[in-house]
Amino acid sequence: MTRWLPQVRSLQSRLLFSVMGLSVLVWLVTILATWSDTEHEVGELLDAHLSQAASLLVTLPLEELSRLRLQESPNLHEYQPKVVFQAWHLDELVAKSVTAPRMPLGNRQTVGFSTGEIEGEHWRVFAAKGNDPHVMILVGEKDVARTDVIYASLRSVIWPVSLALPLMALGVWLAVRHAVKPLKELGQTVAHRRADDDSPLPDGNVPSEAKPLVQELNRLFERSARLLASERRFTADAAHELRTPIAAIRIQTQVAQGAQDDAEREDAFRQTLLGCDRAAHLVDQLLQLARLEANGGTTEPATSDLRASLERVQQELKATHPNTDRRLRVEVDAPISTQLASPMPQGLTHAVLRNLLDNALRYSGPTGQVQLKVHSCPQQERLCLTVEDSGPGLTEAQLAQLGERFFRVLGSGQSGSGLGWSIVRRVATLHHITVDTDRSPRMGGLRVRLEWNHHRA
Amino acid sequence: MRVLLAEDDDLLGSGIRAGLKQQGFQVDWVRDGQAAEYELATGAYLVAVLDLGLPRQDGIQAIQAVRQQKVKTPILVLTARDAISARIEGLDAGADDYIIKPVDLHELAARLRALVRRSHGQTSNLLRVGPIELDPLACQVRVDGVVADICGREYELLHTLMLNAGRTLSRTQMEERLYDWGHEISSNAIEVHIHHLRRKLPPGTIETVRGVGYIIHKQVAL
Repeated sequence: MTRWLPQVRSLQSRLLFSVMGLSVLVWLVTILATWSDTEHEVGELLDAHLSQAASLLVTLPLEELSRLRLQESPNLHEYQPKVVFQAWHLDELVAKSVTAPRMPLGNRQTVGFSTGEIEGEHWRVFAAKGNDPHVMILVGEKDVARTDVIYASLRSVIWPVSLALPLMALGVWLAVRHAVKPLKELGQTVAHRRADDDSPLPDGNVPSEAKPLVQELNRLFERSARLLASERRFTADAAHELRTPIAAIRIQTQVAQGAQDDAEREDAFRQTLLGCDRAAHLVDQLLQLARLEANGGTTEPATSDLRASLERVQQELKATHPNTDRRLRVEVDAPISTQLASPMPQGLTHAVLRNLLDNALRYSGPTGQVQLKVHSCPQQERLCLTVEDSGPGLTEAQLAQLGERFFRVLGSGQSGSGLGWSIVRRVATLHHITVDTDRSPRMGGLRVRLEWNHHRA
Repeated sequence: MRVLLAEDDDLLGSGIRAGLKQQGFQVDWVRDGQAAEYELATGAYLVAVLDLGLPRQDGIQAIQAVRQQKVKTPILVLTARDAISARIEGLDAGADDYIIKPVDLHELAARLRALVRRSHGQTSNLLRVGPIELDPLACQVRVDGVVADICGREYELLHTLMLNAGRTLSRTQMEERLYDWGHEISSNAIEVHIHHLRRKLPPGTIETVRGVGYIIHKQVAL
């Protein structure tokens, strides 16, 4: 059905065309069948009349036949058969109807039906032998008269059907339109929705065939609404977070402009630079997180040298946190120290270690202690990386919020981006690393445990 | 003019404090919502600049709390929360102005001056009592159109008295309005400043209300 109507996209037109096409086809076949049947039946009926007329004539002896002076019978009905006869004795025409031609109507030699043509007119002829074997009776009828009868009977069949066909088309059109109306309405509802409209489609008036579609659409709307809301929140939060360092940079620059002496100006410039560094760090973190989110959960499994990343991060931390040497202790358990592989690429290993250690150093105060340990887990085949600090730690509520984008412990006096933990969590998800946080029983502050499958890594 | 600044971000807070000082304000800086509420409740400030995302107590809650205590000090909210709903919430809670970060330093100062002016029922920045004219924008005092040599604490003292013209201010009230934190105030500082001011102003401008304090009358009879 769709093969021969590939260009028709509308369900309504498709239904209409196929139903009407089929109807017309059936109608045509019916007409043809009726035609051939009627032609056959009427032909037999008229032939019977011819033979009947002939059988009456053959009973007459030759003398009586030759005396026949037949007036043409009055035409009492339009379908009254226009029948003529000829009576032949040997090659002589002994009698005929008034309207009959003098030429033989048809074959005079053989008995039975035949056709003949006289002066351009076709005849249907029945020949019968009389009592005298030399007498041949021919009864004929013009073909035109016969086809008139056939056409008339066909007309009576065709006209009611012809009248019914447009009525049926109208009926089919109305029915199809009514049937697809809910679908059309659904289409219009979807088409006229505003881009930011995430309300579900009503499925009360929808036909059962379209219900799964509406339900799937509604699920899709729900998902995209959630995604959109989270993106909006993220953009708003990012704007919010960027505003504070930018506001600080702006104000400090104006302070520098209005400074009365060099010392004040110098101080304002120093603060401006700090603000720039903070904004730059925030943008870096935002970009890193955006790249991780764009990954959509599929990264090539890769490993890197954990020890090398650790050493690099330690070097970097020395630049930003004073006394890092004294505050940070790194322990690696001997048995596994020979092959210390991180389950993620080097860039991400660096980012995770950096965020964890930077947070620990930041929030444990200027003299707080931080310890990083790498060891085998109680479960075989798994590696553990623990970072503990001696800071104030986090409350249960704060632990639950850890990893939410832009979550920061207020009042800590620290100006992190609030994204470090989001990055750690995202990387962990991508590389099948489990992350646990709790209070450190030994040091009192926050304890973070990363765990991964050693063999996979 | 003494301003309370509540901002938890070190960099921005130090910037605003330095900038407002350049604009002639005395700035006290607190870093959390509870301290902001406590300081505002003292009523010692002409105006306050409040961030909303403050630790310990949100800025909105702090505003609601001090408004319940009938503190009338004008409050300007300076925040990164830019949603219309947040602005409405802030203003409805009792804030008098709402600015989204980042802000221009001069605009911030102008808005603070406007808030102070309005809260004292004035339509123009210029304060006028009899022949004395005080211009807070230029930090200048003119007597009969001639610029008087009044600056520093004396200017602040005169500004306070003129803003409260018709009301008697006690010595403690004046000290509160004049000095930000960390200043050692000698016991007779106010008297000394009043003494100097009286020499530079037409006689009878500042009246002593015995046992209470000082007053400048709205209409000075000379």
